[in-house]
Order: sequence, then C-alpha cells, then structure tokens
Amino acid sequence: MRDTQWPRFQVFHQEHPDRPHTNAGAVHAPDAELALQNARDVFVRRPDCVSLWVVPADQILSLTAEEIEHTDLPPAPAGNGDSQRYLVFIKRTQVGSHEHVGAVAAASGPAALGEAVRRFGTADALVWWVVSESLIERTEAAEVGSLFGPAKDKPYRDQAFYHTTTLMRQIRGRPKQEP
Amino acid sequence: MARRPASAGSPLVDASMNEAERLEAFEARIHRGEKIEPGDWMPDEYRRQLIRMISQHAHSEIVGMLPEGAWITRAPNLRRKLVLLAKVQDEAGHGQYLYHAAETLGATREEMIEALLSGRAKYSSIFNYPSLSWADMGVIGWFVDGAAILNQTMLARCSYGPYSRANIRISAEESFHMKQGKEQVILMSQGTPLQRSMVQDAVDRWWWPTIMMFGPHDHDSPNSPVLIRWGIKTKTNDQLRQDFVNQVAPEVLELGLSLPDPSLHYDEASGNWLTGSIDWDEFWRVVKGDGPCNAERIAARRKAHADGEWVREALAAYAERQATA
Repeated sequence: MRDTQWPRFQVFHQEHPDRPHTNAGAVHAPDAELALQNARDVFVRRPDCVSLWVVPADQILSLTAEEIEHTDLPPAPAGNGDSQRYLVFIKRTQVGSHEHVGAVAAASGPAALGEAVRRFGTADALVWWVVSESLIERTEAAEVGSLFGPAKDKPYRDQAFYHTTTLMRQIRGRPKQEP
Repeated sequence: MARRPASAGSPLVDASMNEAERLEAFEARIHRGEKIEPGDWMPDEYRRQLIRMISQHAHSEIVGMLPEGAWITRAPNLRRKLVLLAKVQDEAGHGQYLYHAAETLGATREEMIEALLSGRAKYSSIFNYPSLSWADMGVIGWFVDGAAILNQTMLARCSYGPYSRANIRISAEESFHMKQGKEQVILMSQGTPLQRSMVQDAVDRWWWPTIMMFGPHDHDSPNSPVLIRWGIKTKTNDQLRQDFVNQVAPEVLELGLSLPDPSLHYDEASGNWLTGSIDWDEFWRVVKGDGPCNAERIAARRKAHADGEWVREALAAYAERQATA
C-alpha cells in the first residue's frame, strides 16, 4: 500500500472572542492552508467557533509537569536582539485541553519554554506547549462567515432538537387499552 | 517555577528509578486521578493496550458509516436525510479524533489503515450486520449509538489524556445520534401497522447484536483486569451491558414493542433487567470475520482508499510545488 502520512497540525479553536484559543485536537494535511480547511471540517460541525489556528505539531515544544521536575530549564534570555515571539499554551486541569495564555520573546524554543514557565508558572500547570508565532496559520476575519456560518443552520446536530423525553411521557400517560 | 499540585503526594516517575519503582509511581498517579499525557513515562503494556483499543474504536467509527451511509439516498424526507448525513459525517470526524489519539502513542496512520484494509484489525462486530430497512436507521441510533455512548462516557474518564479528551468530544456530539434514532422508533411504534411491523422487525434483528457489542463476559475477557487497574476502563463489559439493558429494555416494552428474548425479565432483588443467555458462538464467528457483511465492509473500505489515491497524490504534489515555488 502506497501512502503518505502527511504532517500533523495541532488545531486551536476559539468559541467566543473573549475566550482563549483552546486545543481541539489534530489533523493531518499536506500544508497549513489545507490543515485549516480540514480543521474546519473535523472540529467545526457545530456553531461554537469564531477563529481557528493550526500549528505544525512537530514545531511545538512540550514539557509535562513530570518532565519539569527532572529538567534543568534553560537560563533566562541574555536580552540580545535575535529573539522572536513564541505563543504559550498550558493544560491546567486533568481533563482539560491546552489553552493559549500569552506570548514570550526568546532566542530559541527551549529558551521560550524556560521563559514561559518562569512567566506563567502556576501550581496548576500540567503540560506546557510553546511554538513560534510565525508558524501559526489563522483564519481571517473576512472568512469567518463562510467558514463557520453553515454550522449555524444545522440545529438538528443538537440533542435538544429531539423531544424523546416528552414523547415517552405522553405515551406513558395514555390510558392502557384493555387486552 | 511550576510545581506539582500540593495534592501530588507520591514520588513522580524519575529517570533514576528502576522498572518496578517507575510502575509504582505510574500507578500512584493513576490512583490520584491524574491523566497520563504524551511524553510521560508509561508501561509498554499500557501503551500497547491503548493502541489496540483506540485503533479498534477508530476503525469502528469509520466502518460504522457504511450501514447508515447506504440509506442516505433513500431517506423518506429531507429532514431525515439531513439528520442522517450529519450523523454519518460526525462518525467520520470521530474516526479522525481517535486515530490522532492513537498516533500520540506512536502508532502511525499508515499502520492502522493497513491493518484495517488487510482485515487484520478488529472493529465493533455490530457493523458486520446488514441494514435492511429504513426502520434500521432508528434502531441503530437508539440501540447501537446508545450502547456506544455508555462505553464512550466511561472512556471519557480514561487515564490517558488524549483518549479521554477524544471521548468527551465524541460523547457530547453523539447524544443527538441516539436521540434522533429513538425519536424515529417512538414515532414508528405509534404509526401505521406497516410502520409498527417494520420497526419491530428491526428491533428483533438488532437487539442481540447490540447486547454482544459490549464484548465477552468478564470471566472471558482477558484484558479487563489490567484495563481497570490502569484506569483505561472504569466499568467491565458486563456492567456496561447491564446498564444498557436497564436503560433501554423497559422503554422498548412501553412502546408496545417486544424484544426477542423470552427470558428477559425484571429482577426485583437486584433491580436489574436480566436477559437470557447470549449466543457467543455467533459473536465469535462475526468477530473472526464470518459475519453477514465482514467481506463487504472491508471491500468498501479498500475501494474508498483506492479511489482516493489520486486526490492524495494531487494534494501532495500541490504542497510540494508550493513549498519549492
């Protein structure tokens, strides 16, 4: 069988303009543009999305709380001019997903990770992700209607659309027929 | 500096530990209700069991599109057609969530697809039964998705983070799958004599295969103890099966329909609906490849994969050209 496993992209979706981008899962795609398209199809079948980001998964630096215990974090940046912006994502609850918490400037991924832990470190952080902001592909404001609008017209994807409890109650309340 | 939560009392898994100490620390984490994440230490057997379960679950979502997909063009009206399309599309998405969860453990998509197409991989035995009438769309939704939701709601509490998160998402989306099916069964059971006989026939055909979906009895399920010890599952096959029967059997009977089990009865002492004995010969026959539709299902997947090859090639060529442009 001839096939290719396309690169994996992590997908972040935003449910409301006031909420952070949160990891929804991942898609495979040959490039970032198609990753964004696949992410729409896989993760936005329901009307709860205002923005999507995709990031090449192999460019994300990750550190779990378990690893932090046993890793020497890189020292604070020396403050040279070569730094770039890295976005920081943290998984805070056991059942939760990674949420975007902010950005740091650093000269390398490991330095960004160290800086992120120092800057955003809290007792409840369980897994850290940092990724260079330049690698993020985002949906644009002008596309929001065409990408996410169609999901709004499909109320039948919501379980509340089906009144099975009421139907069962009506049937139970009916007088029993004599045999 | 980030620290462990104060509640984390026992030692963490450490590179200097020996295998037994690592296992002890790992099991302590699970006992505390922590999620294991990619990158964390885990026993090889934990990884192996998860890859086996998650890939089978993913294959089940993908093959599960086939019995219902066959009826999309024959839906009785536009509303039912839109609902069925949306449901089958969800199953495709659920397969994607799950393949990715397995990939976080080191399985590759190619290996998993190859295992499915070659017939080596297992998937839920239920999808090797044919869907013979429109009433099957109602009964599959209520019974098969209802059974799957019980399983997936349990798996949403799984100790492995990515699988837990996939199941949270799936469970939230699938509640409409079950309810649209139940709605159809309710309406058909109160409909014309022909509708009632159609839906009764579908109930008769799907009841036992759904009961079998939960897998062998606990005493014949060699993987169960380790899956429960490591928090991959929190209920056994028989517990989930009993939950399903208790939930569905009384409501089916309230609709004036019957279930194809003369021994089925409510047991006052235990508060459970008890079934007659399950035909395990049939179950193993279907699991091992000799069900009514096994060959047809695999053939359909192979054809879909082969038919999509030119699309994959075109997309790869486009990406390559964009990258070098």
